[in-house]
Amino acid sequence: MMHLSEEDLILLYYGEPGVPANARAHLAECPDCATQARSLAATLDECKNWPATEPAAGFEARLWRGVAARLPEKESRRPRLRLFAFAAALASLIVAAFLVGRVTMHTAPPITAGLSSQARERVLRISLADHLDRAEILLTNLSNGIAPDRGRAADLVSEGRLLRSALMTSGDTGTLALVDDVERFLLEAANEPEHPADAEMTTLRRRIEDDSLIFKIRIIKSNLRTRGQQS
Amino acid sequence: MDRGDDAAIEDARRGDRDAFRALVERHGRSVFQLACRMTGNTIDAEDIAQETFLKAWREMRRFDGRASFGTWLHRICANCSLDHLRARNRRNISSATAEPGAPDPMEQIAASSPSPERLAASAQVAAILGPAMGRLSDMERAAFVMRHYEGMGIEEIARALGVQSGAAKHTVFRAVQKLRRALEPAVRAAR
Repeated sequence: MMHLSEEDLILLYYGEPGVPANARAHLAECPDCATQARSLAATLDECKNWPATEPAAGFEARLWRGVAARLPEKESRRPRLRLFAFAAALASLIVAAFLVGRVTMHTAPPITAGLSSQARERVLRISLADHLDRAEILLTNLSNGIAPDRGRAADLVSEGRLLRSALMTSGDTGTLALVDDVERFLLEAANEPEHPADAEMTTLRRRIEDDSLIFKIRIIKSNLRTRGQQS
Repeated sequence: MDRGDDAAIEDARRGDRDAFRALVERHGRSVFQLACRMTGNTIDAEDIAQETFLKAWREMRRFDGRASFGTWLHRICANCSLDHLRARNRRNISSATAEPGAPDPMEQIAASSPSPERLAASAQVAAILGPAMGRLSDMERAAFVMRHYEGMGIEEIARALGVQSGAAKHTVFRAVQKLRRALEPAVRAAR
């Protein structure tokens, strides 16, 4: 048998499949390969001594504060829907303000008085990121096989369309394309029967995965928030 | 499953935030440390730890207890770290690359108990290891951490990285080869 390659020795070290059938027997008989294996094992064993980094003081409290601030409100269904309706209404108002601001930018904007165009752009980005947050939760549930809340999906479609209008004015084509993609899935979720068939859910889930939709949402959301903070 | 986790997990599944807080406080540090190894950045690691627990809260019902809660959290953390690295790469356009019976001879290679000199030399190796890990590409580093520290198999790493298993295997190979080149002289001196 030929000598073992470094790749074979790495696979052997980790107990991974894919090593030649007689690799272990060869290793027991071949001093050269045994030396190589010892050298590799010594290096990899030393890597186990890599000290873990300790977080800065107060980490656990800081972590919990960050997590708790982003946990959904623990409320009954009805108040949650009211909260959602409020969020949608607020988004509508912001978008309307944005559009009016755009149209009347050179006159005297009555609704956006006091808001610079930069501030309006920032508000739009934050509203979009919040909309994508809510869409991501619904789509993540869908891709985990949880039947969609059709009312919530329908609300998100309406909210997305308002934001879409503002986006068309702002010229952010990348985000616009994503909002369009998300809307297609939300529409399907809104129109699902109350108890969708497993096959339908599987197809929808597969399409969400194939489109890397949730990943794209996270990227755009992160960009929107970064740009929102910078502007 | 850790006995201390059982009750907290059950309560957290029913929406009990205090129970979930206990889990965050118990596992937060190890999640942070994994994220730190994956990304090499403590600030990113704090964000990733937060994302990990938010995702865990949303998916508590899916936790079936087959693995320990800590292992389950680490899988979520590894995926959050990868999402983070991908987003970072896109932003920075970084240079990340794609990509029984007889005694086991590998076990016979196990090290004997360390002498004080060897412990000192090991500390030197550890000092070289940090910068050597920093020279790996994001994907090499992530793949190596998942294989070496988290005990994830190549197939699982491939799924996490979103690549074929052959590509995942070669990413681990490259990481090991680079680390070996960087560390071997110090390791040899330490033996």
